[in-house]
Amino acid sequence: MRPWIRYAICGVLGLALGAGAAVQRVRTGALGANRAIGPWTTGSDFGTARAGPLTRAIVSLRGLLALPAHEARYYNAAVDSTGAVLDGRCRYRVSGGSIPAKWWSLTLYDHPGYLVANQANIFSVASAAVPNSAKWDVVVAPAEQAGLWLPTGRIERFELTLRAYLPDDGGMGSMTRDQLPAIVKEGC
Amino acid sequence: MRGWFFPVLVGLVLAFVGYNVAMVQFPRVLMELATHRIAKGAGYNNMFAAPLATDKARAIVRPSPDLAYSTCPFDLSDGPVLVEVAPVPAPYWSLSVFDARTDAAYVRNNVEANNQPIRIAIAQEGQPVPDSMAAVRVKGTTGIALIRVLVQDRRQFAAIDAARRKSRCKGLS
Repeated sequence: MRPWIRYAICGVLGLALGAGAAVQRVRTGALGANRAIGPWTTGSDFGTARAGPLTRAIVSLRGLLALPAHEARYYNAAVDSTGAVLDGRCRYRVSGGSIPAKWWSLTLYDHPGYLVANQANIFSVASAAVPNSAKWDVVVAPAEQAGLWLPTGRIERFELTLRAYLPDDGGMGSMTRDQLPAIVKEGC
Repeated sequence: MRGWFFPVLVGLVLAFVGYNVAMVQFPRVLMELATHRIAKGAGYNNMFAAPLATDKARAIVRPSPDLAYSTCPFDLSDGPVLVEVAPVPAPYWSLSVFDARTDAAYVRNNVEANNQPIRIAIAQEGQPVPDSMAAVRVKGTTGIALIRVLVQDRRQFAAIDAARRKSRCKGLS
């Protein structure tokens, strides 16, 4: 085999493997994977020039047009408080307390990041709907529940995103594990 | 096998290059696709008031169902673009401008604006902007200006929708 053919084969394969590895890394990356707090992951450099290439790429895939931390903080959970993957055929209790922000919302998405079809057309629970902002529960389940309910649409795998707009600390820090809601599986 | 040593070495170097180039280009490509997709609503340099997000929404990932989004996909090829935001009767609204690299070049909310109108001109470095307008300089020729309005109660949406449709976006050239 002529030498240039060897270089061509290795060069093309190298480029393809490198690019493929990058795409795979981004596709399997979690939004805000650079900081894990209990079941939640977050990042403080979304939408800023400080964001590294990987963060920027993952945000562009999973949360394009995310705001900088001083305007909004995004906490994403793909697992419950024990680390088990969130399963739309199970029932979970999301329990939280006072969220240090002007307003917040909890939204359920499928793995690609789209809202999940359900008969009740409920896609999120926002702070304005919570009777007691210091202590609240949202039940995430496929079937209708008493109180605040977030339907899963019975999908195999779902994610929760907690948006905290205008955080009290100006986005300088992240919420602690105690401040973030717990996600406890109650049954399947 | 000796004849393969240097070709494999070149392949490894190119794999490293390919990884990094793909990682850097990934957000640009997705942003361009999103800008193009959103422009199907009302075209470039026009404000499009999208309906509240449901499970059918596919224009962008992770839409918030609590927010009413108005978008202006901008193209600065022919000059700066003016964005005017009319105040909305909602506890929170904001304007943000994202460039082709997905960086937020500008963010201003209703609290910072004292619930007064916001008027900016999006321009590239070197493009002249009238003195009466606040210039927001971005890298690249395209991007998205985005208005978010908090809709705490969907029954209030009609009033919010009427108010947000007074916001506009247009080329200055």
